[in-house]
Amino acid sequence: MNATAKSTLIPRFQTYLPILLPIVAVAAALVVGMAVVVAMGVPLGQALSAFWRGAFGNAYAVSASINRAVVLALVGIGFIIASRAGLTNVGGEGQIAVGGIVATALCLMPGMQAMPVGLSFILPLAGATLAGGVWGGIAGLLRVRVGTNEVIATLLLSFIAVWLLYWSVQSENMLRQPMTSAATLPESLPIPATTQVPLLTGSYSSPVTLGLPLLVVVAVVAAVMLRRSLYGFALGAVGLNPVAASRAGVSVGLTLVSSLVIAGALGGLAGGLMLQGEQYSLKAGFSSGYGFDGLVVGLLARGSVTGVIAGALLFGFLRSGGISMEMAAGVPSALVNVLQGLIVLMIASAAYYLDRSSSR
Amino acid sequence: MTTELVALFLGSSIRLAIPLFFAATGELVSERAGIVNMSVEGMMLTGAFGGAVGAALTGSPMLGLGCAVLLVLPVAILQSVLTNTLRANQIVTGIGINIMALGLTTLGYRAIFGARSREVIPGFDVWPLPYLGDLPLVGPLFQQIWMFYLVVIVIAIVGYVLAKTGWGIALRAAGDDPQAVVKSGAPLLGIRHAAILFTGVMSALGGAFLSIGDIHTFTEGMTNGAGYLAIVAVIFGSWKLWRTVAACLLFGAATALQFQLPAFGIQVPNALLIMMPYLLALVAVAGLAGRQAAPRALAQPQ
Amino acid sequence: MHKTVSGRSEAVLPLLALRGIGKSFGAFEALRDIDVSFNAHQVHCLLGENGAGKSTLCNLVFGIHQPTAGTMELEGRAYRPAGPRDALAGGIAMVHQHFSLVNELPVTDNLLLGRRFGRIDRRAEGKRLQELASRYGLDIVPDALVGDLSVGQRQRVEIAKCLMSNPRVLILDEPTAVLLPDEISALLGVCRQVAASGCAVVMVTHKLAEIERVADRVTVLRRGRIAAYSDTPAADINRLVAAMIQRPQASGDAAIGARAIAARKPAVPFRPKQEAMQIDGVSIVDRLGIKRLDDITLTVGRGEIVGIAGVEGNGQSELGAMIGGLLRPTSGRWFASDQDLTHASPRRITAAGVGVVPEDRHAVAAISKLSLADNLYLNRMSRFTRFGLIDRGAQRRQAQDAMTKFDVRAPGPLVAFGSLSGGNQQKAVLGRELTTPGLKVLLAAQPTRGLDIGAIEAVYGLIRDAAEAGVGVLLISSELDELISVADRILVFYRGRIVGEHVARPENSHSIGALMSGQTA
Repeated sequence: MNATAKSTLIPRFQTYLPILLPIVAVAAALVVGMAVVVAMGVPLGQALSAFWRGAFGNAYAVSASINRAVVLALVGIGFIIASRAGLTNVGGEGQIAVGGIVATALCLMPGMQAMPVGLSFILPLAGATLAGGVWGGIAGLLRVRVGTNEVIATLLLSFIAVWLLYWSVQSENMLRQPMTSAATLPESLPIPATTQVPLLTGSYSSPVTLGLPLLVVVAVVAAVMLRRSLYGFALGAVGLNPVAASRAGVSVGLTLVSSLVIAGALGGLAGGLMLQGEQYSLKAGFSSGYGFDGLVVGLLARGSVTGVIAGALLFGFLRSGGISMEMAAGVPSALVNVLQGLIVLMIASAAYYLDRSSSR
Repeated sequence: MTTELVALFLGSSIRLAIPLFFAATGELVSERAGIVNMSVEGMMLTGAFGGAVGAALTGSPMLGLGCAVLLVLPVAILQSVLTNTLRANQIVTGIGINIMALGLTTLGYRAIFGARSREVIPGFDVWPLPYLGDLPLVGPLFQQIWMFYLVVIVIAIVGYVLAKTGWGIALRAAGDDPQAVVKSGAPLLGIRHAAILFTGVMSALGGAFLSIGDIHTFTEGMTNGAGYLAIVAVIFGSWKLWRTVAACLLFGAATALQFQLPAFGIQVPNALLIMMPYLLALVAVAGLAGRQAAPRALAQPQ
Repeated sequence: MHKTVSGRSEAVLPLLALRGIGKSFGAFEALRDIDVSFNAHQVHCLLGENGAGKSTLCNLVFGIHQPTAGTMELEGRAYRPAGPRDALAGGIAMVHQHFSLVNELPVTDNLLLGRRFGRIDRRAEGKRLQELASRYGLDIVPDALVGDLSVGQRQRVEIAKCLMSNPRVLILDEPTAVLLPDEISALLGVCRQVAASGCAVVMVTHKLAEIERVADRVTVLRRGRIAAYSDTPAADINRLVAAMIQRPQASGDAAIGARAIAARKPAVPFRPKQEAMQIDGVSIVDRLGIKRLDDITLTVGRGEIVGIAGVEGNGQSELGAMIGGLLRPTSGRWFASDQDLTHASPRRITAAGVGVVPEDRHAVAAISKLSLADNLYLNRMSRFTRFGLIDRGAQRRQAQDAMTKFDVRAPGPLVAFGSLSGGNQQKAVLGRELTTPGLKVLLAAQPTRGLDIGAIEAVYGLIRDAAEAGVGVLLISSELDELISVADRILVFYRGRIVGEHVARPENSHSIGALMSGQTA
């Protein structure tokens, strides 16, 4: 066939579509959210002001939102890295949980609190990262060795991890604090002060942790890696066409497994940060909701690290506002789930047409 | 005494497996047609919610059942349009629907019943069959809620349609080679739409069983992964009907152990037992060459 | 008498008439101004090269696409199928190039697909099949799984499936492409039978031998338009062939090109002094236990072009996959550049100086969504890395040079690879493999499939140049003429074994053809 297609002039609108779409989706979801609030009979003004206070009200609120955003961003970056290789990691919540468990265990180890030069909080974080990496790696190995769909594998592992978390704080043989009375809560002992992640400002009224600069480093490394490194190129090749990538000398199995290890590791790190930077003791269900939030952030971002940061900030503040709205105005935070679902569906619906028009 | 316990165990296993029987059979039909519905979880939850609300508001569990199906239909239609018409990624849309269903059912429940969880609703009672229910070992098999017999009939019908009718051939072909179906003049999209709707109805029934058949209450997020277990059961069963049903029974048994083992005097941490079905499922997908038995065009946007 | 749009007088009303049909895919015009009619009791051949628009035309008739211009008439009434179902309902059936059969289902189920929806009786269907089979001379086993059948058997099932719907028009799209010579004869016989029973048979082909044997009427398509037609094909064969391949200004070039290639062939058979690649007793057994390659032993000398002839499906694909590192032999070994590459990864194979142009360039050689520049260096991006990061500027500049060197025509190195024409894609892949550092061996599998004449000549030239520079070339092709004109010697593959070897000369064509169809000695 010698006749080549004449190239069509791409209208400016179409080049901006990939960025417009998430914005439109979020805006539409917010409108729906407000409609639901009104439908529930809650005065919109009251709900919105409660939301605002919870998200931006004071330094504490903003810091809490940022800390939340850091966790989501880490999970989201992990998601897009795996996604570049064609894998969908839905096990964020489990990877966070496993990270939290290992971080707590390490923090509570005798001798950890006395470690010098910040190792007291760095080592548990490293352990948490490693644990998350292993948890993601299991799914990766299953995918490569046996062909198990990674969505199923990461999902099942997530459930298992959540119940492992439950077990570890229920059982005194594991991490549960000694039961002095029947009212002793199923939690771990509080972690020693030196194992806590230091705060940027040093003051608990604005408790943004060292996690923030850490995230910035991770984000920069990830962005450069995805766009300019050989590994990033290999990820993309495997994600587009594993057979051709294999013929071109890329080790497809290694690439797939490593991408899930990285995604899991970032999730584990997020869990460690939550434990050592905010929660300070292990409680059942501490990871609840972060998995889905991180997943949605990853999907929203459509492969871009900047997109992840933007989405993480959005959802970080959204969640904080949502919690406040529930407490002060009686609007269940489940509303945020509805908005998330809407955003995912809107973007997924348009994605097929977006991809088709961009490959011209 | 032990025969009693074993019988009890069998009965519990079946009871706990019933929602899976419904959902997995429904999902099997979709997957044989080439579609993965990650949204089974959300559809089951919607069914549970619909059943609970319907029964509570009308006082009749039967109407509740109808309400469950009605409520799930738009969800199934949504999934079908997204998958077949808009060609969106099946995994992503399924998960999106699950998230939304969780949010909507929680909101809905709070709005209708207030924040009081554990509200008791009119539900179905056990319907013991006259002579069979009194048999020594297998008695509890026949002391189930009537929906058990319904699902057995549905499974038999599905088996017949798949193996012995032209629609069954077309459905299976849709999952293996959708282009061949188009070239042969069979309505590919129509078949896939119908499959997803069937999955929706079955998921609704399975979910409704949870709220008005088994526990007679609704709690937020009460399906708690049952929908995903249904999908795993299909994989475990290598996409064959009878094996899938067996897998559901196995998962039901694993959950039943939670209550049985203490009765045998064996102390196992609760969390481990709750984890058991997922662990089994993981072993299942790790150990089998299930992928070779999958419908060739599964989850491909065609 | 009826007058068709083209002005020819007809004695009967055509069964199917196309008037002014045109089809565009976006900006690409696949068909234009097509006026053609198909009559009952006739075999009408659509002749044309790859990419001339023949398949598109069939798809329009069968309802898979809708025309962007023109009308169709079925038995005098307007015919506008929205999909295959309308076509089938109207009495039009099509034997597709890629069959409409489901491998996982048995023959009977495949025959029922789309025809019956309620309760089915497999045994009755089997009986109907036997009746049909004996009437038209088709030989089929009803209970076999289609996936287990040979290609020829599958085609018979496909034909039976079409005939079961009692069509008035039967379309066959490139039916002989995958058949052995005697299977081809059988098929042509079936076509005559079907036409004799009252059907209008439409056969799409690019093989001239078949035209002569079976066609009552021929229409030649070139670049989406009708280039010629004839009601007496046997007599007009030369005119038809000329119309098929004629390029307005380039007829001189084609002749020059052909002569140049012929001139480079030495008068005496080429005897290489050193060996570049050795394959020693290689067998490959697939997952179902079928032997795809059976004890293959061959060598390729430095500077030699060894051709592998054979109808597709006789082990050539497996051989190509093995040399590409995508398939491991079950037994035996193979070497290149004195290295044992039997269990080597694709990376090691490339490092050993083996270049591979696979038969399926879209799936294996390149990634369509990546840029041309990325694909030109797909297997050696590391040459642009500093401190682990890719220097995109350097990559772009070198890609530009490569484009000029191998005459790859594209708006720029950053366009998506998939947007290039087939010929340019193939030139890019070939260029990449030919610039493999330390190239000693080149495997080219079906390298000119789907290419126009200009690109074909370019490919032959590049291959010949490589051989002259000392590269050992293994050329797999199902076009015997191609092998005769390019290769030094030809090995024939049949059912996974090497059944014979000949020097690549036109006088050996007949013997090679015989070996290709399994005739021994």
